[in-house]
Amino acid sequence: MDLINNLALGFSTALTFANLGYAFAGVVIGTLIGVLPGIGPIATLAMLLPVTYALEPTSALIMLAGIYYGAQYGGSTTAILVNLPGESSSVVTCIDGYQMARRGRAGAALATAALGSFFAGTVGTLILAALAAPMVELAFKFGPAEYFSLMVLGLIGAVVLASGSLVKAIAMILFGLLLGLVGTDVNSGVARFSFEIPELADGIGFVSVAMGVFGFAEIIANLEHKGERQVFTDKVGKLLPTMAEFKEAIPAVLRGTALGSILGVLPGGGALLASFAAYTVEKKVTRNPKIPFGQGNIRGVAAPESANNAGAQTSFIPMLTLGIPPNAVMALMVGAMTIHNIQPGPQVMTSNPSLFWGLIASMWIGNLMLVILNLPLIGIWVQLLKVPYRFLYPAILVFCCIGVYSINNNSFDVTMTAVFGVLGYVFFKLRCEPAPLILGFILGPMMEENLRRAMLLSRGDATVFFTRPLSLVLLLMAAALVVIVALPQISRKREEAFQEVD
Amino acid sequence: MKINDAKDFWSGVMFAAFGLAFVAFARQYDMGTAARMGPAYFPTVLGGLLLLLGVVIAISGLTARTTDGKVDRFHFKPLLLILGAVVAFGLLLRPAGLVGALAALVIISSLGSDEFRLRDVLLLTVGLAVLVLIVFIYGLGMTVPVLPSFLRD
Repeated sequence: MDLINNLALGFSTALTFANLGYAFAGVVIGTLIGVLPGIGPIATLAMLLPVTYALEPTSALIMLAGIYYGAQYGGSTTAILVNLPGESSSVVTCIDGYQMARRGRAGAALATAALGSFFAGTVGTLILAALAAPMVELAFKFGPAEYFSLMVLGLIGAVVLASGSLVKAIAMILFGLLLGLVGTDVNSGVARFSFEIPELADGIGFVSVAMGVFGFAEIIANLEHKGERQVFTDKVGKLLPTMAEFKEAIPAVLRGTALGSILGVLPGGGALLASFAAYTVEKKVTRNPKIPFGQGNIRGVAAPESANNAGAQTSFIPMLTLGIPPNAVMALMVGAMTIHNIQPGPQVMTSNPSLFWGLIASMWIGNLMLVILNLPLIGIWVQLLKVPYRFLYPAILVFCCIGVYSINNNSFDVTMTAVFGVLGYVFFKLRCEPAPLILGFILGPMMEENLRRAMLLSRGDATVFFTRPLSLVLLLMAAALVVIVALPQISRKREEAFQEVD
Repeated sequence: MKINDAKDFWSGVMFAAFGLAFVAFARQYDMGTAARMGPAYFPTVLGGLLLLLGVVIAISGLTARTTDGKVDRFHFKPLLLILGAVVAFGLLLRPAGLVGALAALVIISSLGSDEFRLRDVLLLTVGLAVLVLIVFIYGLGMTVPVLPSFLRD
């Protein structure tokens, strides 16, 4: 069996002493930062990206994947104990998780989240491993026209499934695409929008954008709200859920995993959408719950936590096989790969099999480490929540600044990050969701390249996007998404779905 | 004229301004043709779209029926102190060395908090400096001056 051979190769890469160490370090640091209220996986990844530059590519990606899971899990811990979502995908976990904590069942909620996530992560990893090869084969059938259409679909999908205003999200994507174009044009060698600044001729640093817009802007926003944090630390309670709780949680975990795995693959999908959808489904499916939802029902923790981990896992599929990131976190991973001179796309699996399968195997190992690490160590994370913010944020800033500087040993990048911090703060004030911007930023150069190639091959005939069947299907799907969301009934439902948990 | 949803209105203005700027600056590059696109082609199309969307969003902000469209107050103190600290770090790193730049970053950014206490901040600075020296300089072997230039040979 190919699958087994591939996984064997993967595990032999991931299980080396060094890589295990990096996965472990990633999980620990990810949890450490992710546990801090107000800092989600995107900000965590953006802040920690530079830490992995010195490593060789495989180890770097393994560590980043570890950071991602760690941050995700750390976010749930904060959601349950402080009622403050560290990230958007644990907003849902807050509802029932915090109520469980208030009833003295914090331990059970944390254990359910960890075990559910581990199960979902295992399933997600298997799906990823099984689908990778066929997806890569499909990807080789793609020409530039198909790639362009696929990116259109991906961007539209990201907009449709995001919360907030549609038009604003589209505008943010366009803005991101444009920012991505700054720098030397590969075809003509012209330094575009560089204003004679030599550093800008290389393009705007990806880390500067991500860290400024997500990291710095969040720190400033956090400083505005003071003294609202009350940590629930009286007692975490027994860790193991009771038999009755187990019985309730297991079907919820299964449903959440299934839903999350499917939604993760969709463009724009991933952890956030998965957890929202799973919570809604769980509420619909459960008749006469013993404890009503919103008052500490264990299903309200089990389903979204499993779903977001399954979604987090399967959203690697389009990123690894097609090179197209379905969400902002994957956009960061693509950014990390390009920094290590790996062009994401179908060729990664064939040209770099040990990296590809090693990463997949390490995801499972990372998930396992999370369970082992987080349950016994929960007390340490709780202590961390007690550290006053006025100590934490200068420390975070120090590591961010050193990180940004060390990418190119260049102070210009540090200043640039501050510029994007201002922009991020303005976005925050104007309620412009920044995730589509980063997705556009990554896709900008790829889109232009494929558009140019497609148009060159067709001799300037734009109908090529509609006459090639695969491309047409992708564009029709994108159009269908827009139409569906624009329908009045649906748009009202969409608003409700996102508001329900506010 | 009354602005109903100020958040949308100003977002629209911002998008339109950025779109216009990209279109305007792209004019100095070659447009090319549809078959052989020059460096100006894609940015012009995208910038035009962004300009258009910006106008649409701004108009919808004017006509929207909403009661909570006001833009929250900007807190300039944390904004300026945090980002100012970051810029100071970048500018000071070569002349003042890692330790000096770090001290500036920690102290300036700490002023952004409402609970500033000098003693705590100084302790934090020393602690972070030691940690950073161990991790980045001795651990990861980062090549950056540690001490201010006048103390170096």
